[in-house]
Amino acid sequence: MEKEFDHGTAADVSREDLDAVMTSLEPDQLSFEKAKHHCPRRKLTRIEKVLFWALRIYLVFMFGVVIYQVWTGAR
Amino acid sequence: MLPASPGDVQITHEDIDRAHDRERVWATRAQRGLRPRLRLLWLLIGPGVLVMLGENDGPSMLSYAATGARFGIGFFLPFVVLTFCMACVVQEMTVRLGAATHRGHAELIFDRFGPFWGWFSMADLMVGNFLTLVTEFVAIRAGLGFFGVRPVVAVLGALCVLFVALMTHRYWTWERITLAAAMFNLVFVPVALLSHPHWGAVSRALFTWRPLPGGLNQETVLILLADIGATVTPWMLFFQQSAIADKGLTTRDIRFGRFDTVLGAALATLAAAATILATAPLFTHHMTAANFEAAEFAQALQPFVGRWGAALFALGIFEAGMVAAVTISTSSAYAFGEVSRRPHSLNLPFKQGKSFYLVLLAEAAAAAGLVLIPGIPLVYIVLVVNVIAVLAMPPALLFLYMLVNDREIMGELVSPLWANMLALGVVVVLIGAGLLFGISVIAPNALAALGGR
Repeated sequence: MEKEFDHGTAADVSREDLDAVMTSLEPDQLSFEKAKHHCPRRKLTRIEKVLFWALRIYLVFMFGVVIYQVWTGAR
Repeated sequence: MLPASPGDVQITHEDIDRAHDRERVWATRAQRGLRPRLRLLWLLIGPGVLVMLGENDGPSMLSYAATGARFGIGFFLPFVVLTFCMACVVQEMTVRLGAATHRGHAELIFDRFGPFWGWFSMADLMVGNFLTLVTEFVAIRAGLGFFGVRPVVAVLGALCVLFVALMTHRYWTWERITLAAAMFNLVFVPVALLSHPHWGAVSRALFTWRPLPGGLNQETVLILLADIGATVTPWMLFFQQSAIADKGLTTRDIRFGRFDTVLGAALATLAAAATILATAPLFTHHMTAANFEAAEFAQALQPFVGRWGAALFALGIFEAGMVAAVTISTSSAYAFGEVSRRPHSLNLPFKQGKSFYLVLLAEAAAAAGLVLIPGIPLVYIVLVVNVIAVLAMPPALLFLYMLVNDREIMGELVSPLWANMLALGVVVVLIGAGLLFGISVIAPNALAALGGR
């Protein structure tokens, strides 16, 4: 089915603007389409979950190291 | 935005502006010859150059200046070239991701991995961005301080520039204004030339990676991390992908997007290397630069590069802070709009993109305000910002790596094996550098043993 275009929030939309949108943009570039359709969520594998958590723990630990360095530096 | 009826599609100002930009691209692409080719390049470059020169920000330029002053011409000159190669590997993935999905980085992370991991990623970005923004205003204040501008005037003036650039309500105009400002990053090149570098030592350093005065110690590791953090940071991933989506690049433009990224990296490397060369005389003349801030660097360089050279250096520090303040606050606003599902584009009029512009301006204003509070330990914040960027990079890269290898959203554009190997190499270097930093802080003696001392 061919999609109909409505000027929506663009109050001063002209025929020229409408043509430009229809010919120059890919359908999934339209903000309306992007707001309506989102990428489906993927299921994480066990290895991926372990990797995510490992890097999160690494980050928390290293932030602790940075705080320690700033604290000792300030003293 | 309300649909007129099921099956209908609404178009907005954002779509119309983007469509007119794309019309020019299509019209130019249809022509043959060198001139249309160059024009096409002119139309399509932007996000890559902006992200790379934007990353040559206040703390980055201060890191490079400290590198030259503490270590001279040697190991760190080729090391900086390597870090920009790493940045190219990482940013190329965001080009493909943005062109293939037309969506921003934060949005994809939320959609594909869910809000639990999405909020972790956003927290990393927002904390890093805010701290970095503070340092940009430190650089703005220090750079203009060299010319006698009062801190309040410098910071408020910078906020006004940021506001004016946004009020164009057009991605294309904003991008060109910011690009023109970013080109001033190259003022460090004449400063380097004024310092009369020893070209033999430069070429020797580039080929041998030597010397490394002092060997591997706590100070070397800190500078090492600061220089990595000066080129590869999480906000760059979010900014370039969102800018590519906002500019409207498609899979046909990926080649130009790659060129844009490499061009940006080459220009940024030139500016970074020039800064190291410019401050190398401080090392040669055994001048202590341990607690230098931007203005002090410019003043200390005056005997070697003259008054004009010192003024250019200070101007470069101001420009680095200004451009990065624009790009980093934009990256935060894009990410906020993507996860809160609110309109997020530089093509939006203020009324339609109120939350986008307000987040952008509020973050910048808060960072600017912090810089003006007397007694805030700004030196610590500057030192820590690049280190935090390196530490936050591996988790951000894992998201990027998984997204760019996700056939469901990338189709045929998933990363080839060689790109994955390079990306994993970057992750290994970043984690290695982070662990080295951890050892240097917790067990400095173990680091001395590692360095053979």
